[in-house]
Parts: sequence; C-alpha cells; structure tokens
Amino acid sequence: MKGAESGKDDYSEYDTPHLIMTYTALLSLAILRDDFERLNKPGILKLVRSCQRADGSFTSLPNGGDSDLRQVYCAFAISSILDDWSGIDVGSAVKYIQRCSNYEGGYGQSPGGEALGGTTYCALASLYLALSQSTSSVSPHLSPEERTRTIRWLLQNQTPVGGFSGRTNKVPDACYCFWAGASLHILGASEYVNVTALASFLSKCQFKFGGIAKAPEDTPDPYHTYMAVAALALYPPEGADKSYNLPKLNALWNTTEDTAEWIRSHIQRRS
Amino acid sequence: MHGVKRVQYSKEVLEARKQRDQARLKDYLALYEQVFQKRKNKDFSQDAFDSTTNILRMNPELYTIWNYRRNVMTNGIFPASDPSKVNDILSDDLSLTFALLKEHPKVYWIWSHRMWCLEHVPDGPTDDQLKGWKTTNWKKELFVVEKMLDADARNFMAWNYRRYILGNMDPPPPPSAELTYTTKKIEANFSNFSAWHQRSRVLMSLWKEGKLDEKTSKQTEFELVQNAMYTDPDDQSVWIYHAWLIDAGEDTALLRREITSIQELLDEQPDSKCTVYGVACPIQEAHFGEAFGQLGP
Repeated sequence: MKGAESGKDDYSEYDTPHLIMTYTALLSLAILRDDFERLNKPGILKLVRSCQRADGSFTSLPNGGDSDLRQVYCAFAISSILDDWSGIDVGSAVKYIQRCSNYEGGYGQSPGGEALGGTTYCALASLYLALSQSTSSVSPHLSPEERTRTIRWLLQNQTPVGGFSGRTNKVPDACYCFWAGASLHILGASEYVNVTALASFLSKCQFKFGGIAKAPEDTPDPYHTYMAVAALALYPPEGADKSYNLPKLNALWNTTEDTAEWIRSHIQRRS
Repeated sequence: MHGVKRVQYSKEVLEARKQRDQARLKDYLALYEQVFQKRKNKDFSQDAFDSTTNILRMNPELYTIWNYRRNVMTNGIFPASDPSKVNDILSDDLSLTFALLKEHPKVYWIWSHRMWCLEHVPDGPTDDQLKGWKTTNWKKELFVVEKMLDADARNFMAWNYRRYILGNMDPPPPPSAELTYTTKKIEANFSNFSAWHQRSRVLMSLWKEGKLDEKTSKQTEFELVQNAMYTDPDDQSVWIYHAWLIDAGEDTALLRREITSIQELLDEQPDSKCTVYGVACPIQEAHFGEAFGQLGP
C-alpha cells in the first residue's frame, strides 16, 4: 500500500514484507471487495523479485527465511493475480518444482523430501498458473506419466473413511481433503474422488456447536473449517441437500469464482 | 494433535484460565511495544537481546524479532565478543530453541534459527582444532533431531532437518550409520513411510557413490520389504517402497520374479487390495501389459 511507504527508515514499525502474507493480503482485500486503487504493484513485484534465489526457489522474506514449495506457490499466485510475471524467472522456478517431485507421485516440501499433500498442491497449482501467462508454452511441464503417477498417489491417500491423508500411511485430516482434492481437480481427475465418503468424513469432523476440526472428535479451528468447506465446494456429494450449495471455487487461487472475477476486473483489467 | 480428545472443564477452571490468559496477554503486549521500539532505535545491546529472548519465548512465530535478534548478535554482541564467547552464545541459542521446539515442533522460524546458529559457529577452539566447536555443535544437533523423531517419528520437518544436518556435518558420519538408523526406525514401525523414504535416499546416494553394490543391496532390500508385505499386505508404505525398488521396470526378469512372489502372497491373502495394486503400478507404468496379464483378476 502506498500510504505505508516509509522510504528512508531501515526499520519501519511494521514487520518485514513476507511473500505468504502478501498473497494472503491480496486475496483478503479481494474478498473484502477493495477497489485496489492504492495497490503498489511495482513494490509487490520488487518484493517477489528480491525473494527468488539462484536455484529458482523463493524465500519468505527478501533477506531470508524459509524456502520451499509454499513460497513458490505464493510467488506464482501473486504474479498471476497481478497478471504480471516480470518479478519471476519462471524457467528456473519450474526446474525447482520438478526437483521436488518424487517417486511416490507427489511433491516433497523441498528437493529430496517425502511427498506431502499440501506441497503437492503448491507444485501443481504453480505449474498450471504458469500456463496462464501468455509467453509460456502449452505444456504444464508435466509428462502424462508424471500426471498418472500423481493422480494415483493422491487417490491412494483417500482413506477408507473418506478423508484424505497428507502423506503415505497417515491418518486422514480435513485440510488434506482440500489439498489433495484440489490437486486432483487441477489434474482433471475429480471423477475418481469418492465424494460421498469425503462428505461423510467432513461431516464427522463437524463440531456440534459449530466449526470443523481436522479429524472427528478434535477441536475445531478456522483453518480446518475453511479447508473443509473449500473441499466441499469442489466436491459436493451427490443428492445433497441445499446446505451443500456452496459458491464455485477457483482451485488455483484457492478462492471463490466471484472473488477471482473481482480480481480480474479490479486488478487485471485496470490499465 | 490427533488423538487428543476434547475435555469438559468446569466454570471455575475456565474462569481461572481466562484471568491467566488476560494477564499474559497484557505482559505480551507491553513487551511487544518495547521490543519493536528498540528495533526502531537500532538498539543492538545485551538488553535488547534479552528482550527478544523474552518475547520469542512467548511467541516463537514472531519472525521479525528472530531477524532482529540475529541483527543484534551480528551488529552488537559478536563484535564485542571473542570467538569462544561467540561459540557460547550460539550454544545457548541452540539450547533455547531446543526448549522451544519441544513445545512447538512445527514452527519453521525455530528450525531456521538453529540453522543460522550452526552456520555461524566460529573456527576454534585452537588453530590445531579449527573445526572443534563446529564438530561438537553439529554432532549435538544430530542427537537433538533424533530426540524430535523419538517424540514424533513422522515429523516431516525433523526429517528434512535431519537431511540438512547429515549433508552439512564435517566430517560426515559414516554412510552406513544412516542406513542403520532407518532400519531401527522401520523395525520400530514399518508403517512409517518417512523412514522408508529416508532409506531410499540413503541407498540412492550410496549406490551413486559406489559405496554399496546396487545389485546385491537391492536383493537385501527386496527381502526386507517382502517380510513387511507378509506381515501386513495392506500397508501402503511397503508397496510404495517396493515400486521404488523395481524402479522403471526395465528389468523383465526381475519383474517376472516379483510378479510370481506377489502372486504367492495373493494366493495366501486373496482379500488384499494393496497386493494387486502394488504390482500393477510399476508394471502399468512400464507398459508391461503382457506381464500384467499373468497376474489374473
């Protein structure tokens, strides 16, 4: 935001700009239907650019912090929301994403890591978001074999009780119903998800006084509540009553289609 | 955490907790104000350092203050300390963050601060033992990460961190030691895919460096994984590891042998879904339609 620019002072009273928080802030402003009049686009692109490292990955902060697929996704999502990819070397970032792919079929958090549902979403959403930039080639940098193997791993994580687990042989968790579910949606493999079992699991995660927990009998929290609702928006159970009528979700940005349209008309189509 | 059930608390307990939380919040906000003011004033004193300790103990997610703490160290404290003192300060920070990790095992900032500390351990104690302090600290770190994995054998951050430690230790530990560690973890619970995954990484590097004969070692691995298959044919870990061992399925003789062995298991346990699935994956991938046909329905 332009109003917050401090200029000379090394240490403003604010926290250091953060890639993940920047993605979250842009989405939150769009959800709140901000007009984006005061958006400092060059400043955000400068942040994105200063976070990319030589191996293609991104750090959370310009001067360091974590560096794994979560930051790559945020950099791609920010570029896609701003419809300006000049802050990213897409080629080297895609190479980094590919280095995180492993034989299980998913993507580890960083190269060499065990496949994880959340970072698999980050990898796939990034690869498909990059397709939207005009200069990129048609391929999402994913071979048919890789796609099949990833679909297989994701489906294998839909447990017999209907919920998805985030890793091989882990217990199901409401948030992975989104991470894995959205990944399958991005890969065009939604039809293989057992939607009835998924909804049944998530309804069991529901707390009787409101909210959704990560697992049945657990304590609800806003994060798992949102993730569960987002998963159900992608996978409404067949023959469900109208309480399952949820707004259409944009799986790549992880927001409603209405909010995505707001972004398109208020950020992208502004000249 | 999974498995922690909700508990009903009495009104009195809830009220007492509320009072306690409010007092804590008041302290936190006062401290927050103070630390950010110091940061704004570029205060790199010992006093500033101590305030960051206090607030990070209360909230280890405060990344701006972790960064500020490192600035206090490099700009204020280290220039005024001899190498031995710097080593002591970093060792203290490693102890502090270990205590924090026990309470917050998945806060990224704590893990990354440990990495920073380890990477800043000075040379010493003497010219003859330039790596002395470094070796001691990194060795201790491997012990810490083992403690973390004892507490939660699936903590992926601890596994990632373990790989980072092993990759940076100087001198590196003997390559066979990590293989032994994964054997221990797999024997404790063979459903723990994180341990199988680590094993696959270790083996790949041992084969690549020629420290282990790939063919003989693969044979041992097939035996290990077959034992696990017979113990629980519905366990996903063993099938994924098995598929990794078969690799791209280029060795037809090996594929036939494995199909026969899985067929035997399937005859014994006809209800096992994973069994059919397990053999189908790598073979389908390698387009061995003919070989797959042998398996039957």
